[in-house]
Amino acid sequence: MMDLLHWDGTLSAKDFRIGAVAFAQKWESLNFAFPPWVWVPCPKHPWLASPEEEGYLSMEKICISRLNEEDIDQTTQIDTDEEEASCSGNKDVIDDATLVQRNHHELHYYDFHIVYSNTFRVPVLYLRAYCSDGQPLQLDEIEKELPTCSSKELSKSKWTFITQEEHPHLKRPWYKLHPCGTGEWMKLLFLNDTAQPKFEVVLELYLLSWFSVVGQVVGLRIPFKMLNDR
Amino acid sequence: MAKEGSGSILQFAPFQSSVDEGFWHRLSSLKLNKFGIDDSPIPISGFYAPCSHPQVSNHLTLLAESLPSDSNEGSAMPAIIRGNRNRCSVPGILYNTNTMESFHALDKQGLLKAEAKKIWEDIHSGKAVEDCAVLSRFLLISFADLKKWSFHYWFAFPALALDPSATLVDLRPASQWFTLEEAESVSAECNEWRNSSETADVPFFLVSIGSDSRATIRHLKDLEACQLDGQKLLFAFYDPCHLPINPGWPLRNFLALICSRWNLKTVRFLCYRENRGFADLSLSLVGEALITVPQGWREHQSVPNAVGWELNKGRKIPRCINLAKSMDPTRLAISAADLNLKLMRWRALPSLNLDILFSIKCLLLGAGTLGCQVARMLMAWGVRKITLLDNGRVAMSNPLRQSLYTLDDCLNGGDFKSTAAVRSLQRIFPAVEAEGVVMAIPMPGHPVSSQEEKSVLEDCRRLNYLIDSHDVIFLLTDTRESRWLPALLCANTNKITITSALGFDSFLVMRHGPGPFNSTRCLKAETSNSLSAVMDSLTLTNTDGRHRLGCYFCNDVVAPTDSTSNRTLDQQCTVTRPGLAPIASALAVELLVGILHHPHGIFAEAEIANSHSGGNSELPLGILPHQIRGSLPHFQQMTLVGHSSNSCTACCSTVVSEYRKRGMQFILQAINHPTYLEDLTGLTELMRSANSFQLDWDDEIDADDECIEL
Repeated sequence: MMDLLHWDGTLSAKDFRIGAVAFAQKWESLNFAFPPWVWVPCPKHPWLASPEEEGYLSMEKICISRLNEEDIDQTTQIDTDEEEASCSGNKDVIDDATLVQRNHHELHYYDFHIVYSNTFRVPVLYLRAYCSDGQPLQLDEIEKELPTCSSKELSKSKWTFITQEEHPHLKRPWYKLHPCGTGEWMKLLFLNDTAQPKFEVVLELYLLSWFSVVGQVVGLRIPFKMLNDR
Repeated sequence: MAKEGSGSILQFAPFQSSVDEGFWHRLSSLKLNKFGIDDSPIPISGFYAPCSHPQVSNHLTLLAESLPSDSNEGSAMPAIIRGNRNRCSVPGILYNTNTMESFHALDKQGLLKAEAKKIWEDIHSGKAVEDCAVLSRFLLISFADLKKWSFHYWFAFPALALDPSATLVDLRPASQWFTLEEAESVSAECNEWRNSSETADVPFFLVSIGSDSRATIRHLKDLEACQLDGQKLLFAFYDPCHLPINPGWPLRNFLALICSRWNLKTVRFLCYRENRGFADLSLSLVGEALITVPQGWREHQSVPNAVGWELNKGRKIPRCINLAKSMDPTRLAISAADLNLKLMRWRALPSLNLDILFSIKCLLLGAGTLGCQVARMLMAWGVRKITLLDNGRVAMSNPLRQSLYTLDDCLNGGDFKSTAAVRSLQRIFPAVEAEGVVMAIPMPGHPVSSQEEKSVLEDCRRLNYLIDSHDVIFLLTDTRESRWLPALLCANTNKITITSALGFDSFLVMRHGPGPFNSTRCLKAETSNSLSAVMDSLTLTNTDGRHRLGCYFCNDVVAPTDSTSNRTLDQQCTVTRPGLAPIASALAVELLVGILHHPHGIFAEAEIANSHSGGNSELPLGILPHQIRGSLPHFQQMTLVGHSSNSCTACCSTVVSEYRKRGMQFILQAINHPTYLEDLTGLTELMRSANSFQLDWDDEIDADDECIEL
């Protein structure tokens, strides 16, 4: 019978799956600031109906609006004059029934995925950001918008480090919070819990507690209600 | 919030496109693996959903799934996903060109007309009633530049233009138009419609409200059932737009359908919008439009005019997105390497100075077993600027021990080592700035004829220039005498110098101490006439009075001389145990990293392992020794210290000042006259006085015995 003192702070794949569903449900019922987390299945063998289904939690298109508009116009200067000249033959692009919008308010979108790491046996937060036309944002731009995410802030912590790696399912570069310290601080978190939960309870609460730390790095706060409602 | 008044033209908010990165990744993959230069149009799917945010409109989104699969067994059509409430699928077509010119040369009006025609025919054939998503059919033209990883594209959302345009009679939030009970019922029915996987992604529907305030939602094809009851009838659609006084683009073709198929001139419509996944009737709009059915529409005559090319920030130009940072393999390799080192710094070595590793220039003299391994180790530490110098060609036996070469480099007589090495480094890491120099290093004891003199002097100057323009020099050649000139030149300019040498089963790795003149001025011997100026900074010691560390030649009692001729065959072949070169090379690079992180750099004191002498062992990388000598038979390694010698043929002040005074002439003399250096440094004297002792020296100790250097 596992107890807290001998636990290494990690979680099995099966517990992750169960915990993910529970976390998503709780989030949806109590969290009004954000859309729900959706479980995206990634079956290894699509032709088998496998109970050992792999997948990840996804919360996408979180919108953050930019305040300064000057920067945007500068970044899209690629050959626009040349292009305009070559498209001069375009008549009838719009008619009087088309609303022409003058306000080009640039928006940034964030996608978050919670993916299980088989190597470290912990959940990992993956994130990426992009403009409304799909242009990806680089880390330094993300840092400006999510101040808690800046490398300066993170370097003060020995537990958090943002790195870029290929998303294990989507095979494209995403940013992620490196998981190598997760097991350690999760254990510390629970050891210091004055409620002294039983180990089975710890596993149920794992994702919630994990996210309460990790979410802060990317500016996602868990409402107080959610944490207290155990 | 009601917009009333007859005669104002109904203005629609255009669709906005959003292309996920994954779409371009898949298109690139399809181009490279399947389509090649075939530029036939590709059927694709777009996705949209009703507006879900009061301040932000939803987009027509393209994802990787919008394109057909890029696997070999995949069909030519994108997979149709039904039942996803957040992804109403609409059909589209992609014209991807092979050049920028053909992209601009596409007949945009023609293409738009062709798609408009498809919509027109779907309306008249009844297909639009059965499968209403076709009303929002779209067109995309693009040019994928797979060298620069930039994608130029332009969307068109064809809308059949009413002529004259429809006018708006009334427009207000739905919650203000419905009664309370009606609103409740409409919300409930809509939520059910949205939650059922059969109807969740059907973007056009009918809402009829009976006299009992109960709402019923039906498919378009059930219009007759709605009209029979004489109820309130609204033509509803998923509206991606959030604006309070404008409906979204899908309404345009919906109105075209309504007026041409059902001949209605007054249309009451519902712009269905949501908030947090539920129907939001204060965000949704109900409006009434007056349509004048244009002539010829009912009779299915020629295709109406269409508009719909998407503006780019108000301008009639295509859009462009550059994805090099996430698609270009070289960029990905660079950022991966960078992050790897940063990870090391974060986890284990917070004082790691990546900037200095990134910017130093290393010159490797010798591209053999040592040179190849040192180059690889340097790259692993993040060093980017590497120059390799070697005059040899890759021989058939080389690839086994010299880790940058393969069999291909040996063919046809063998490529020059330095060029093959550079090629190999670039294949490993394309961002390396590597250069190869094919050149022999002039050596003392190998006299040159007068015809060769000129080119040898040229080589000397070239070597001098190379040493000058780099920060770190590695002496990795296979003879002792070839290290002399570089050692002298490095001592002259105080460059960080690291020597590695191999015996059959033992090795030496050492860092040279600073040169005899501590000033950082680099006096070119040819230009300096003032001996006194040189004498001023003459010193054997470091500024703090301690002995400076020695160089490779400081321990010698003889000058470097020809060690290659007159040796037996097995002495001429430098055969060593294979494990030595990787060990020595790795240590050489680790030693360099230590020097670069030491506050005194080249002037750092020597530390030995297990020393309790209060050396700077708080340095995170550990101690910084002077020499490391290891032997394989004992699997043993020792750290040693050797101080500079007054009679060193390479770095003593006499030699260096003579070089500064006479430059190339001095070098030439040293090369041509084997005893010159010994005479100059007083070694000759030393030997004479040693020999005058009456001791039984063993005859076997002979200078020529040293065919392998330690």
